[in-house]
Amino acid sequence: MTRARWSLLFVALALAGVAGLTLGPVRIGLGGVLRALAGAGDIQTVGIVRDLRLARVVLAVITGAGLGMSGAALQGTLRNALAEPYLLGVSGGAAVGAVLAVVAGVSAPGALPLAAFAGAAGAVALVLLIARAARGRADPRVLLMAGVVVGAFANAAIMVLLAGAGEGTVRNALWWMMGSVSGADWRTIGWLSVYATAAGVALVAVARDVDLLALGEDAAAGLGVRVADATRRIFLLAALLAAITVAGAGLVGFVGLVVPALARALGARRAREVLLASAVVGAALVVGADVVARTVRAPAELPLGAVTAIVGVPFFLMRLRRTA
Amino acid sequence: MENEPALYSCPGHRRRARARTRCLLAVIAATSACGAPASDRHPESAPTAVRIVDDFGDTLRLAQPAAHVVSLNPVTTEAIFALGAGARLVGRSRWDSSPDAARQVPDLGDGLQPNIEAVLAARPDLVVLYAAAANRAAAAAFRRAGVQTLALRTDRVADLARVLHALGLALGDTTAAASVADSVQRSLDAVRAMPRRTRPVSVFWHAWDAPVITIGAGSYLDELVVAAGARNVFGDMAQPSPQVTLESVVQRNPDYVLAGPRAARRLRADARWQAVPAVRAGRILVVDTSLVGRPGVRMGEAARALRLLIDSAAGVRP
Repeated sequence: MTRARWSLLFVALALAGVAGLTLGPVRIGLGGVLRALAGAGDIQTVGIVRDLRLARVVLAVITGAGLGMSGAALQGTLRNALAEPYLLGVSGGAAVGAVLAVVAGVSAPGALPLAAFAGAAGAVALVLLIARAARGRADPRVLLMAGVVVGAFANAAIMVLLAGAGEGTVRNALWWMMGSVSGADWRTIGWLSVYATAAGVALVAVARDVDLLALGEDAAAGLGVRVADATRRIFLLAALLAAITVAGAGLVGFVGLVVPALARALGARRAREVLLASAVVGAALVVGADVVARTVRAPAELPLGAVTAIVGVPFFLMRLRRTA
Repeated sequence: MENEPALYSCPGHRRRARARTRCLLAVIAATSACGAPASDRHPESAPTAVRIVDDFGDTLRLAQPAAHVVSLNPVTTEAIFALGAGARLVGRSRWDSSPDAARQVPDLGDGLQPNIEAVLAARPDLVVLYAAAANRAAAAAFRRAGVQTLALRTDRVADLARVLHALGLALGDTTAAASVADSVQRSLDAVRAMPRRTRPVSVFWHAWDAPVITIGAGSYLDELVVAAGARNVFGDMAQPSPQVTLESVVQRNPDYVLAGPRAARRLRADARWQAVPAVRAGRILVVDTSLVGRPGVRMGEAARALRLLIDSAAGVRP
């Protein structure tokens, strides 16, 4: 990727961020926003800019970057442009873990991502097992079917868990499953950013394995990659990233699908580049989608997952046509 | 029809106590032709045929007042007790907790999309339902099973008089229904007639926080706020319970935030809600959600409680 294109990506992210900080029911100019960010101005404006808008933008950045990188890693390793955490049932598994934690009364902001991760890792293992049983690990259709099955099972599991839960828990869970960053608060963001940074850095560190695995398992083995170990490591990191986003923002679909494709369209080739570019594109996309979610029907708010699905589904169909 | 071998003998039953109560009620109904029991207030001694068109458009026909009633809506359950017919209830929904005596009535589960079998097992001759689309199938199922249904909408202040009248007809005591409706109306009017505040007060009603849900113009709680002499900051929204962004709450800048006790604690502790000036200044008024939540026979009491709550807070304001 050229330097100009990288700059373009960062400009897009910056613009989305500015939109996220300046647009809203309370009119605050760019100057007012900057002063509020610095902590100057009246306490109410500072509260709006820092605790409401900036927190949402930061959570959207984490969500978008996490989903983008997760999708890029899964697509590269599986050599399948349709792989993404939502469609592969990974997000669904993470949701089961998180709902289980909430129903069990665990609500510490640090524990929720871990519970989601346990669920996501379980879902990855299940998808790969099903795909292997059908002897079609490399076949995109088998993998997607396995993902759909695991996702449907995850949904059913959540319904069972919620059947015995209180009215409030159910309402919270349903809203959260539609995806939203409206619940952004700094304590949660602190935990999520620690996990996300660790998983993101680890994923970039194993980017070379993603490149080699993309050549095919035999070729990768010939080049000295311990295929099973490397694959497992990458999947787990991708699952962790997806789980972090689920813990913070619920189920936000199709970002992991659209974003790596955009990164590649912009000229990213090597896995490292695709991963990093996907992080930036994903962040910009989700920040932008959240601005749409909270402004088109203001003062009401759309679920973020609905906005990303509106963008993502036509894109998915286009890719499916090209792959088929 | 009863499948039990004989009306007057109580067959062995797992839940003996309940079965016995049912038998007892059956006996009362069977003997009521000879002499009306003291617990049932029938205005006329001869049974009258009743015909009511309910809020689903279904026609309810009763040869005599309903004797075994399942009420699956907190508002109607409370109203049936207010009409002095609580003893005729053989089932209620899990949400019906008022009056206290309602808790003694068997809990048959949810009031929306109820468990049909559980309700039929209570052998009612009338099922009172909340008239929501989700209950249409249940109403049809009860009617197919030969049980009469009365679906009533209980969403607004104005609904209550109609609900009381319909229940009065079904239970054979329209006099009691008219007198309860009248007393509710008078208590509500008394609150509305309280002197206007020198300075208008605006409120934000916190119904939920993830997502943020409040009350709009189409809701009973909006009517209650107006009756209490205040203005709902989202009173311009047509939906009864609109979902709004937290920032729009900041923008509309209510004088007070009304919330239930648990929600109030959450709001005080949540950094994001501090952006709302009323929350930051501690102007959160804790409402008794069990009293104000439903447009039932206690709505006058609820409006008065709300008015006094706002008055006491507004009085201490600088």
